[in-house]
Amino acid sequence: MSSTSLTLAPPPRSDAAERVRQEVREFLAAEREAGTFTTHVDTWLSGVDPAFSRKLGARGWLGMTWPKEYGGHERTAMERYAVTEELLAAGAPVAAHWIADRQSGPNLLRYGTEEQRKEILPRIAAGECYFVIGMSEPDSGSDLASIRTRAARNGAGDWVVNGAKVWTSNAHHSHYGIVLVRTGPPGEGPRGKHQGLTQLLVDLSLPGISINPIRILDGGHHFNEVVFDDAVVPGDMLLGEEGAGWHQVTAELAFERSGPERFLSTYPLLAEFGRRAAETGDPAQLAALGRLSARLLALRQLSLRIAAALDRGELPDIPAALVKDVGTTFEQDVVDEIRAVLEVVPSLESPDPLGRAMAEAQLHAPGYTLRGGTNEILKGIVARGLGLR
Amino acid sequence: MASDQDLVVETVRDILAGHEPFVLSPERPWDDGLWRDLAEAGLTGVGLPEEAGGSGGEPADAVAVVRTLAAGAAAVPVAEQILVAGPALLAAGLDLPSPEEPLSVAAAGAVTAERSDGGWSLTGTATDIPWSGVAAHLAVLAAGPSGPVLARVAADGLDASDARNLAGEPRGSVVFDGTPADAAELTFEQAEELRARHALARAVQLSAAAEQVLAWTVQYAGERQQFGRPLGRFQAVQVELAQMAGEVTAAAALTDAAVQVLEHGGDLTIAAAAAKVRAGAAVEVVAGLGHQVHGAIGFTQEYRLHHLTRRLWSWRDEAGSELHWARVLGAGLVARSGDDLWGALTRAV
Repeated sequence: MSSTSLTLAPPPRSDAAERVRQEVREFLAAEREAGTFTTHVDTWLSGVDPAFSRKLGARGWLGMTWPKEYGGHERTAMERYAVTEELLAAGAPVAAHWIADRQSGPNLLRYGTEEQRKEILPRIAAGECYFVIGMSEPDSGSDLASIRTRAARNGAGDWVVNGAKVWTSNAHHSHYGIVLVRTGPPGEGPRGKHQGLTQLLVDLSLPGISINPIRILDGGHHFNEVVFDDAVVPGDMLLGEEGAGWHQVTAELAFERSGPERFLSTYPLLAEFGRRAAETGDPAQLAALGRLSARLLALRQLSLRIAAALDRGELPDIPAALVKDVGTTFEQDVVDEIRAVLEVVPSLESPDPLGRAMAEAQLHAPGYTLRGGTNEILKGIVARGLGLR
Repeated sequence: MASDQDLVVETVRDILAGHEPFVLSPERPWDDGLWRDLAEAGLTGVGLPEEAGGSGGEPADAVAVVRTLAAGAAAVPVAEQILVAGPALLAAGLDLPSPEEPLSVAAAGAVTAERSDGGWSLTGTATDIPWSGVAAHLAVLAAGPSGPVLARVAADGLDASDARNLAGEPRGSVVFDGTPADAAELTFEQAEELRARHALARAVQLSAAAEQVLAWTVQYAGERQQFGRPLGRFQAVQVELAQMAGEVTAAAALTDAAVQVLEHGGDLTIAAAAAKVRAGAAVEVVAGLGHQVHGAIGFTQEYRLHHLTRRLWSWRDEAGSELHWARVLGAGLVARSGDDLWGALTRAV
C-alpha cells in the first residue's frame, strides 16, 4: 500500500498521555461516586451537562492543544486523545462542549481573527461556550456545496443571512454556530459550486434566528432546525476569507472525523456485555467479546496514528475518513454481535442495564454512519486515497 | 537513508523476484530453490542470535522478512523457523539446528513426553504440523509429567501422514511411539508464549498477504476495462475496494502494535490473540471482494490471485483457529480486568 495515502506511521509511546489518562480515570471515578453522572451510550451527542463541561475546563482538559494565550494548555494531540477516549468510554456527559472543543475551536484558531480568538477560545477552554455546526440543510446533505443559505452585505457592511440549517446538534444549548453560507455565485465546471461559499461566526442569540427542535428516534431533543430570517450578523464575524468556505469546511471535517468518538459511541454497551460475559463464562459470549475487542483495538491503533499525525502538523483527511467508515460500522455491529450470542430485550425502561444500553445503542445506531459525512461519502474519499478517482 | 531492515527486505524481494509462486502439490510441496537462496543469504536465520548460529537482528527484522515472504506467497517455512520454533528452542535452552535446515513447530494434537534413560521420549500424535515432510527438524510441544515440555526431533524416519491446507502447504501429522528426543521442561508461560508467537506469525502473514491482495486488486481495477472505462471508475467497485482498504488498514495497524509487544515486552498472549483475530476477520472481506473485483480470471489457477487468497483462507484458522483466539482474547480480557474491561483494553497493546 505504499502507493496510497491511507497508511500512517505507528504512534510513538506517550508517557504524558498515560499520566493524564490516570488523572481522568481518578476524576471520573470520583464524579461517579458523587453521583454527578451515570453512564449512557452516545453521550457526545446526548449528554449535555454544562456543569460537567466546566469541571473539565477547570481541569485543563478542554482546548488542550491550543496556545496558552488563548486559554489553551499547549499539550499534545496524544494527550487530548487519551482524555477524550476516557470520557467516551465512561459514557460521561460531554455533549455541551464537544463540538466547540473538537472542531470549532481549532477552526477559529486556524482562520479566526485575533479578536475572535481572544474573545471566544478562552471561554471554550473553560467549558463555558458551546458551538453548533451549521453545514447541512433540508435540501443539502452529502452534497454540501449545494447549500442555499445565503448571506449578503448590507449598507453597513453587516451580513444579512437567510436560510435554514438542520441536524444542528444541541443548537438550543449553544452560544455560537459556524455557519456555511453562499455569499457569491458558483463558478463553472463540476467543482464550480465550491466557489462563493463562506463561513460566518454566528451568535445564536441574534434577532432573526429561531431554533426549532427535531426529535430523534428515542424522542430525545438533540437536533434542531436553525432558521435565519434576515438575521443581521456583524461584518467582523466573517470567519477566515470570504469565498474560502469550502476549503475551510474541508479542514474542519478532518477534525470532525478523526477522533475516538467514531468508534466508542456504543462502548458503554460493550462494557455491559463484557460484565455479562464474565458472569456467565459462556464460551460463545467470550468469543464475541474477543471479536469485538479485536476490532476496537485495531480502531484505537488507527485513531492513535491520526492523533500522532496531528501532532506532526499533518491534516490526515483520508485516513480519518477510513477510520470513521470502519469505526462507525463497528459501533453498529456491537449491537448485532451481542444479540447473536445472548438473549436480551432492548428497552429504555429495562431493569437490566444491558437491555437499557442495547435500547440506547439501537435507537441511536442509524446516526453513527450518517453524521459527519455518510459512509458512502467516506468510501468515496478512501477510493480517492487508493488513486481510483 | 535506508535502515538495516529496509536492506533485509530489499534482499528478500530481490531473491523472491527469481522465484515465481507455483501451484503446490504432493510432488512439489515447497520451493526448495527459494529456500536455498534465502539460506545462502542468511535470511533463514534473521532474528536468531549469531552465537546460536543465527544471523542476528531484532524480532522486528524477522517480522519484516516474514511479511515480505508472505506477500510473495513464498512456499518456505521461514515464519515457523525464525518467529516460532527457533526462539522457542533457544528459550528452552535447547540447541538450534543449522538455520539452513528447515525447522518447524508441532504444537497441536496430543503428545506426551516422559523421561527415559536420562533423556526424553515422545508418544502420541502431533497434528497440523506446518511443512511436515519438508522440515528437517521439529520443535514439538508436549505434555510432560509436571508441565509442558519442548522437544527437538529430527523429522527423518518419523511415522508421518500427509495433509495439506487450502493452498497446498503441507500440514500433516506425525505419530510418536516412544521416540527419543532432546527436550526441556517449559514453564506454562513459555508454552503460552510459543502459542502466541505462532499466532502472531500467522497474523503477520495474514496482514501482509491481505495488503498485497488489495494492491493487486486496485491495480487490476485500474487496468481492466469494461463498458469503455476501467473497473475502478465504477462507484460500486470503488465501494468494494474502500471496504477492502478499511479491513487491510485495521488488520495491519493492530498487527504492527502486537509486533511492538513482541519487541518491547508486554502481554504477548493478549496482543497476539487480538492481532490474529483481527487479521483473520479481514480475510472474509479482502479475499471475497478481491475475487469479486477480479472476476472469472481470479478464479483460475492461471492467475496469481489464488496464491494469496487460498493462503488467507487457511492461515486464519491455523496456529489456533480464529474462534479459539477470540475466546482466549475475550476470556483473557475478562480475567485481567475484573470489572474494568476498558482498563484491560487500553493496556492490551
